[in-house]
Amino acid sequence: MFIAKLAWRNIWRNKRRSLIVIVSVVVGVSSSLLNDSFGVGIMNQMIDNLIKSHDSNVQIYKSGFRENKKVIDVIPGKDKILSLIGRFKNINGYSERVISFGLISSAANSSGVSIVGVRPELEKNVTDIHKKIVSGRYLSYQRNEIVISKKVAEKLEVELGDKVVAVGSDIRGNVSSQMFRVIGIYRSGISEYDNINVYVPLSDAQQMLNLGNNIHEIAVSIKDYRKSSELKEKILAELSNNNIDKMLYEVSTFQELMPMMMAFLDVYQQWSYIIYIIIGIAVLFGVVNTMLMTVMERINEFGVIMSIGIRNSKLVKMIIYESLFMGLIGTITGFIIGLLIYYPMSIYGVDMSNFSESMASFGLPNIIYPKLNTIVIINTLLIIPFVTMIAGIFPAIKAIRLQPSEAVRFV
Amino acid sequence: MEILRVENLTKEYSSNGVTVRALFDINLQFNQGEFTVIAGPSGSGKTTLLNIIGSLDKPTFGKVFFLGEDLSKKSKSELSDIRLHKIGFIFQAYNLIPVLTNLENVEFPLMLLGMSGRDRKERALNIMEELDIAELANKRPNTVSGGQQQRVAVARAIVHSPILVLADEPTANLDSKSASSLLDLMEKMNAGKNITFIFSSHDKNVIDRARRLILLKDGTVVQDAIN
Repeated sequence: MFIAKLAWRNIWRNKRRSLIVIVSVVVGVSSSLLNDSFGVGIMNQMIDNLIKSHDSNVQIYKSGFRENKKVIDVIPGKDKILSLIGRFKNINGYSERVISFGLISSAANSSGVSIVGVRPELEKNVTDIHKKIVSGRYLSYQRNEIVISKKVAEKLEVELGDKVVAVGSDIRGNVSSQMFRVIGIYRSGISEYDNINVYVPLSDAQQMLNLGNNIHEIAVSIKDYRKSSELKEKILAELSNNNIDKMLYEVSTFQELMPMMMAFLDVYQQWSYIIYIIIGIAVLFGVVNTMLMTVMERINEFGVIMSIGIRNSKLVKMIIYESLFMGLIGTITGFIIGLLIYYPMSIYGVDMSNFSESMASFGLPNIIYPKLNTIVIINTLLIIPFVTMIAGIFPAIKAIRLQPSEAVRFV
Repeated sequence: MEILRVENLTKEYSSNGVTVRALFDINLQFNQGEFTVIAGPSGSGKTTLLNIIGSLDKPTFGKVFFLGEDLSKKSKSELSDIRLHKIGFIFQAYNLIPVLTNLENVEFPLMLLGMSGRDRKERALNIMEELDIAELANKRPNTVSGGQQQRVAVARAIVHSPILVLADEPTANLDSKSASSLLDLMEKMNAGKNITFIFSSHDKNVIDRARRLILLKDGTVVQDAIN
């Protein structure tokens, strides 16, 4: 305690110099907190947006469907699978889907699309396309309705109420077509989806493709996306428990469905660690420099306390406390300042609409809401004080190497 | 009782390839309760001898025995422990720690000894009362006079009841009145607590008070006399 008290008072000997170090820590901590919370916010929103726009947390298909997209590859024994999924607790819901790649044509133009047949009420539990309708309304249970994206609408030059014809190949490989009326136009904010997905009632899709009661995909949604892999494992385990041949099925998490996006997020995560390292090194050099100066200025004093009989361990402790205290003051202040900046941003968001095109290509909306999580808080609160503690070691070694008889005469 | 013995002590320094001999073949013995002054002109080796006696420096040749133990065989931390438990230091420039109060300065050796806060405060205050500086307890060193600072330094040097106190020109920065008062105090501690005092000084007032005078010249003892 006495050593800590001494160290505390020592850092205020040269207030200006200590404050420069503390300010550098404050800037480092608050900027890393904001940078990290911004990064976490982007990642969360990106994943959330991708999941809720189409992909869901876990998808179930017949083995091979995801790769080949053959209409004939419907889910075997889908009622049994649906009843099994229905028994799962902690899921938001599931949706039955029919998926077919085809062409959609208007009087003016044509576009290659993915025709997604859904049960509107079930789909609402999985995705939020119904919330992203910019014109018209979402699907009801009326026949021959279609919801298309704004981009597709622009390409086809259609408006609400206009007719379009979808053409695909049915289960037997024959060309099939059906007329739909545009009742809603959506904008998901993700170019990849907006360019391709159109939504029709499940029964219409089944009829068009001669699928009977069959479906291609079951999309399952859960509250916490981080538990997607856990859910996948549970589904596979349930298939085995119910003597269902799980080789017939492919169960994929959203991470497996979006490998490029996951790689991007991983790179982003690595980058945030690089930022930490850069800030850490900057703080490290600043503190080492300051502590070396304070050691050089106090050689005589170190000589005196060495003469009195201080042990090296206590001398080291005192110097490390000094740098640690500066780190702690800077960290706490930086954390508070970071929070004060973070808080309004997390409520009102940061408007990035100037970059809306590129944001949309990454599945990001125009407004980013920074998000603090436990890892960000732990990183922010521990890394810099740890670095400052490390920074005290070199000056401390310098101090204990002093020769007491020379140090005590040092002027 | 012998507390300190110096045998064939020689100290040489090398600077830019030139060897300078600071002390040469010193043989001395000190008994408990002595009040000794090592005198001599500047550069005669007084401070070097005190540093070696106090284990702050090592001889180039020769040995120092403190309480019968050969200091050359001790590690750095063992020497720190010896200084902490058995030796007190008083410096010419007082060398109090400026960020601590006078009381905390006196407490410092007791803290290093691991004494609890309450006990060390009580003991430090008792010593300060004994030295008539209790009223300075909560002041910082730079707010009191040089003489008062040196009294605080004396309190710090004796608070842990050392066997030996080494004082390097303790009165050099003091006026004659303060110097005399300080010497009175140290004589009192020497008599009352049987602490051995070894001074280095060329101050006539100090030399006059010495009960044993060792005169150094060019690194050798030219006189060792009991007054």
